[in-house]
Amino acid sequence: MEGEVEDKRITLEEAVKLVPDGAHLFWGGFGFQRPPMAFAHELVRQGKRNLTIYTCGSEIDIDILAGARVVSKFELAFFAIEGIGLAPNIQRRIRDGSVQIEDYTNLAMALRFLGGALGVPFMPIKSMLGTDLVTRSKFKPNKVKVIECPFTGEKVALVPSVNPDFSIVHVSRVDREGNAQIDGIKGEDSEGARAGKKTIVLAEEIVDTEFIRSNPDLTVIPNIYVTYVVECPWGSYPMMVYNYYDYDMEHIRMYYQQCKTEEGWQKYCEEYITGVENHMEFLKKIGLERLLKLKARKPLGY
Amino acid sequence: MQNLKEHAKPGEYSTLELMAVCGARAIKNGEVVFVGTGLPMVAAMLAKRLHAPKAKIVYEAGFIDSNAIDIALSIADSRLEYRSSAAIGLIETLGILLQGGRVDVGFVGAAQIDEYGNINTTYIGDFESPKVRLPGSGGGNDIVSSAKRIVIVMKHEKRKTVKKLDYMTSPGHLGGPDGRKNAGLKGGGPALVVTNLCQMDFDEKTKRIRLKTVHPGISVETVLENTGFNLIVPEHVPETEPPTYEELEILRSVDPTGIYIPRST
Repeated sequence: MEGEVEDKRITLEEAVKLVPDGAHLFWGGFGFQRPPMAFAHELVRQGKRNLTIYTCGSEIDIDILAGARVVSKFELAFFAIEGIGLAPNIQRRIRDGSVQIEDYTNLAMALRFLGGALGVPFMPIKSMLGTDLVTRSKFKPNKVKVIECPFTGEKVALVPSVNPDFSIVHVSRVDREGNAQIDGIKGEDSEGARAGKKTIVLAEEIVDTEFIRSNPDLTVIPNIYVTYVVECPWGSYPMMVYNYYDYDMEHIRMYYQQCKTEEGWQKYCEEYITGVENHMEFLKKIGLERLLKLKARKPLGY
Repeated sequence: MQNLKEHAKPGEYSTLELMAVCGARAIKNGEVVFVGTGLPMVAAMLAKRLHAPKAKIVYEAGFIDSNAIDIALSIADSRLEYRSSAAIGLIETLGILLQGGRVDVGFVGAAQIDEYGNINTTYIGDFESPKVRLPGSGGGNDIVSSAKRIVIVMKHEKRKTVKKLDYMTSPGHLGGPDGRKNAGLKGGGPALVVTNLCQMDFDEKTKRIRLKTVHPGISVETVLENTGFNLIVPEHVPETEPPTYEELEILRSVDPTGIYIPRST
């Protein structure tokens, strides 16, 4: 007899309520792929403050969090609205001093998450050597150390592992126990989801546990690592989820143009984030017709 | 109908098209190629459809041996998954493939370079109070640290080719011939710089940047007027080989709507 299935499902609002001001978050998704957009919106709606975010490369999702003054510190490798320009809100918040960024490389951040997941205090890396990424830091007194390898004598950089308070990842599908599948690239989410003290998995769809257990080789994040599960369809809109939907470039371009000014950003935030009650109301505002046009085509996945 | 192997004449191609062709020619058949979005992506796709069908294109988000047919806007764009051999993640691409020494050539852009091919993509102006905070390394430093050779693609301006970088994001040849070795870096460093005016390479002995070819219609003087660092100019500087009609035809089919390479004709 199979034991009773544990049910880790909570709502998006409940999940965000768990995050206290000042918390440290691993932020999942990579580039335009699977960012936790709906979670970002809800963090703004609930007025969270002073968060620190760890990620490799992110875009509108973290630009919104900077704009709304939810995040004060980032440790990351890259931020921009790819293919369009610089992230407008983050630029402004850096200038007014309310956001600080500590720079690493993508591999360095991914290894910091792997180190956290493995339970070791640092990871060795052969990037960053000889550059200002080692010599300059914004707020971390111990950002990178270069040592001579005790075995070979060669120079190697060490980066500190990260165990954030929460890991936030948006995936393709998950069962209510928290077994998650990710279609397409994983970015740094496999490691990031395992590094958090608590991990919240948001998913395009909740599937039956039997669906997962009949294909265990497809599980990217097993339930042991997962604390809470949130059903969150279209949760990365206006960005993309492979096999589910494409990005909405029209919306992304509008965001970029409008957020070049503080007034434009305030208007966007009011119209699409704080002015709607929840994620469902946001989707209603975008409209069914527009969303259906973005639905992924088979077999392309976009 | 022109002979496809013939060179196109001035006015029949744009500077961006020439740059994409230069990038494509830097890729050899069978090589493992690490590229980002933009012009290098188009260059790699062109190479694969021309002289390098066995080249394997890797994108850092996790796409391995991608055969994308549509132009991607993001490095993690679902379009890059098309007929890939695998879709994994950053530890696989930047860690095991790249740092593990399995990538032959990597393409990167630059906001500033100096005469040793050191690269800035992070700060313009002072570190403490910069004029512009650029996107940062992303995987750029990882690529330039560990790929066997690097191709830099950038716009040629005096303020972008500087004696001293505002910030060094990625390591070129650092201070000279032993710079990379002494720093503990594994890859071979920058080998080629493709700009809108010329191609530059690096002197074998000093690792200082050197003019390699000037694009058709561009004089050595024009290059020097637009260069902020000391550029080695050999006695004879050949003209960059113009695109062939075949290269142009395939290039235009790779990016048919001109997302990265606007149509010249």
